Amino acid sequence: MTKTYTPAEPIWCAGCGDFGVQGALERSLIDLNIAKHDVMILAGIGCSGTLQNNVGTYGYHALHGRVLPAATGVAFANPDLTVIAVGGDGDGFAIGAGHFVHSVKRNPNLVYIVMNNSVYGLTKGQDSPTMDSSAAEGLDSTRLALSIPGASFIARGFSRWSAQLHELTVAALEHTRAGRGFAFLEVLSPCVTYNDTYASWESMLDNLDEDPDYDPTDLSMAFSRGVALDAEGRMPAGVIYRNDGAVGKEAPPSMAGQDLNPAQHLDAYRGIMNSYAV
Amino acid sequence: MNVTTKPNAGDAAATPKRQLSDISVMVAGQGGDGSLTIASLLSAQFASRGLHLYSTSNIASRIKGGHAAAFLRASVVPTGCMGDHIDLLVAFDDEAVEMAAPNMAPDGIVVFDASKGAPPEGILADTIQVFAVPFGRLAVRDLGRDLLKNCLGFGIVSRILGIVDDAAESSLRQRFKRLPAAVVETNVEAFRIGLSHADEIGLGEGTSPWTVDEAEREEHLMIAGNEALSFGFLAAGGRFYAGYPITPASEILGWLQRHLPKYGGMAIQAEDELSAINMATGAALTGTRSMAASSGPGFVLMQEGVSQLGSAEIPLVVVDCQRAGPSTGMPTKVEQSDIGTMINGGHGDYPKVVLSPANQGDSFVIGAFATNLAQRIQGPVIIAMDRAMSQDSTTVKPFDLEGITVDNAKRLTREEVLKLEEYKRYKITDDGVSPWAVPGTPGGQNLVTGNERNEWGLVSAEPKNRNKMIDKRARKIETVRDDLPKGCRWGDAKAPIGLLGFGSAGPIIERAAIRLAEAGTDVQVLRPRTIWPVLDETIDFIRQCERVYVIEYNEAGQLAHTVSGAGAPKEKMVSLRKYDGTPFRAVDIANTVLEKEAAE
Ligand SMILES: Cc1ncc(C[n+]2csc(CCOP(=O)(O)OP(=O)(O)O)c2C)c(N)n1
Ligand code: SF4
Ligand SMILES: [Mg+2]
Repeated sequence: MTKTYTPAEPIWCAGCGDFGVQGALERSLIDLNIAKHDVMILAGIGCSGTLQNNVGTYGYHALHGRVLPAATGVAFANPDLTVIAVGGDGDGFAIGAGHFVHSVKRNPNLVYIVMNNSVYGLTKGQDSPTMDSSAAEGLDSTRLALSIPGASFIARGFSRWSAQLHELTVAALEHTRAGRGFAFLEVLSPCVTYNDTYASWESMLDNLDEDPDYDPTDLSMAFSRGVALDAEGRMPAGVIYRNDGAVGKEAPPSMAGQDLNPAQHLDAYRGIMNSYAV
Repeated sequence: MNVTTKPNAGDAAATPKRQLSDISVMVAGQGGDGSLTIASLLSAQFASRGLHLYSTSNIASRIKGGHAAAFLRASVVPTGCMGDHIDLLVAFDDEAVEMAAPNMAPDGIVVFDASKGAPPEGILADTIQVFAVPFGRLAVRDLGRDLLKNCLGFGIVSRILGIVDDAAESSLRQRFKRLPAAVVETNVEAFRIGLSHADEIGLGEGTSPWTVDEAEREEHLMIAGNEALSFGFLAAGGRFYAGYPITPASEILGWLQRHLPKYGGMAIQAEDELSAINMATGAALTGTRSMAASSGPGFVLMQEGVSQLGSAEIPLVVVDCQRAGPSTGMPTKVEQSDIGTMINGGHGDYPKVVLSPANQGDSFVIGAFATNLAQRIQGPVIIAMDRAMSQDSTTVKPFDLEGITVDNAKRLTREEVLKLEEYKRYKITDDGVSPWAVPGTPGGQNLVTGNERNEWGLVSAEPKNRNKMIDKRARKIETVRDDLPKGCRWGDAKAPIGLLGFGSAGPIIERAAIRLAEAGTDVQVLRPRTIWPVLDETIDFIRQCERVYVIEYNEAGQLAHTVSGAGAPKEKMVSLRKYDGTPFRAVDIANTVLEKEAAE
């Protein structure tokens, strides 16, 4: 076997929530028996945006905020790959917010995992759009996603709840790999250095997966539960919404694998040319 | 001005016919007037006479209405640009006459729609003949529809140009052949009403004031630069495109949305240009040949992405269809003022190539070349278009489809990767290009990043590694330098006076050179097709001439600064710059050169 790069050791601070996200992802890829060479992990820029170096798959470090367009390009050009985009809350909901909206709407076949620590970790502690401790009005990405037509899978995990996080990661991968489109998984992934929220978040979470009355296929229930919990100062975890009948944005068979020999298309090219003849 | 509104058949027959081998026509009116109809009818007519064509339009950047003008040049020899003057103006309103007046040929003809009164007084030279006919009113009176004035007007115009009635009618039928039969007949009727009015004002069949030469051009293509460029990209294996609508680049998105799906490809309208370039980059990462295009405002939004391509070593074609800036500027006007941005727009040091087609047809060649070149250098290849190059159409020789190749350069196959002992995405090589395993290839797993990194793709800020990596990337340009497209030359290489310019200014510069040569000035022309790196041919051209006029569409002299920065002797360069949004005219360039030379 060809020797390739040795996966990097994570550079995160001890106790960083991102360890849990990487662990869940690695286990899920093994569970689903996906070969590393068939996976591409794309990352935004941030502490979270180093995860792609640690797993041993194909990896790409995108520009800050642009991980979704890059991942969409990969997913369209080679649907045979399992495409996983990861990044931080600043990356996804500040500088990249426009792409988030349009990715949910476009519904490409890829998984998007946001490591939400409600802070800018890499740049040392500035405010993030999801920050709720100081602003009390932090943006809730799951409700934003719910409001966008085309939403097909929305879930929230907590990096300390590793068993559920593993299940959610598997579910997200399965959603995308079944061709249902964009699987959005927000993971509450505390930053122990600049915004240690393990305890406060754990006390706020309401695990929908354990609620027999909650139906994640019911969009209006997803909305009303989110709003109701918010009014109580709480927030949902688990699968918030899923549409198992969704169809991911169609793309042709792998463009990357095409035989490009121009000879095979000469007649068609002549046809195009003749349409301009005078 | 010499207005003809009533019968004076005797006059027309008495004056000798004027024979034209090169004619420029302008048809103008309000947006809804259908100015383009007469222009396209004439275009078909001239094409069937074997003439070379150039067509452009001037449409105010408004949704509907606003003044619109269509321009057409037909000539026995290919010119690649509009003429110096308008010979024939078809004006649907006063504004059209006012717009055209400064450029009208002194012996020109104006056909004026007099529905709302006589043409404006005192703005046309007395030597110009005016035929004033109330097309609009006649169309409404006889046929009940204003729009039919176009076919009516075409009847009169064809008599002026000495086009045989039957030939004119058949090109009209050809143009409307997709419409229901009854509609076609109504249009033909309008045309015939036009003919009978022509009879009344002394333009009987066979008594036309002008005739236009026939030529024996072989079959050509009538194509715009954006279309030809898109075609070149497709032919060289381009399969993924992402863009966001903007004038004058939108035609590329439209063309590729129409054609790519037939070849298993895809063209996406992204939510903005940041997304467009990053989507195209994502597709390119998989080994798919990809492209993104925009105009100035969107092209600058893409610059962080261009820098990423250079650093992370990802092949992508990025097109800038320049328009008049700065900022929103004049979206429908010609300018070449993004040269600095194309060369230095992204942050940091990274290798890039900037190419520019010499004419609309060459856009096919450059589009295909750039698509292969991006794979060879695994980095950004930028194509400099401009408003006129992108959108104007002209007759060009058929493309050499058989000559198109797909160069896979250092892309590795599955088998090749499996045979390797180890695979490093950023392996240091002599030519600066690293072998490339794309995602999905077993054993080829790698990390692509815009961070500085070691050969494995793992982040590294170690100084020695940094130097090696920067130098490796820079070497890629030297590797391909000799293969970069050479410019178009005209004239005797010993001529003391040189003219230098690129893009859509090029063909006009060449016409100016022909004028200068005819006036006895010994000139030569270089129209570079590689803007960056500046090739030796450009530096040598300037060195070898006594004086070189650098002719470009911007205020700062961006091309002049670029070539002098690359080593061309400044003292030999004279800058001719235009930034009013209108194209150069060969006559003006020639006169300016003559004046300056006389003053030397
Ligand atoms: C265009 C651009 N602007 C700013 C930065 C600086 N920057 C790097 S990471 C970051 C924010 C990181 O926050 P987040 O996305 O939440 O990731 P975290 O570090 O918290 O995981 C910023 C502003 C950048 N790299 N690029
Ligand atoms: S700074 Fe915060 S987010 Fe970054 S690695 Fe440390 S704990 Fe994690
Ligand atoms: Mg963060």
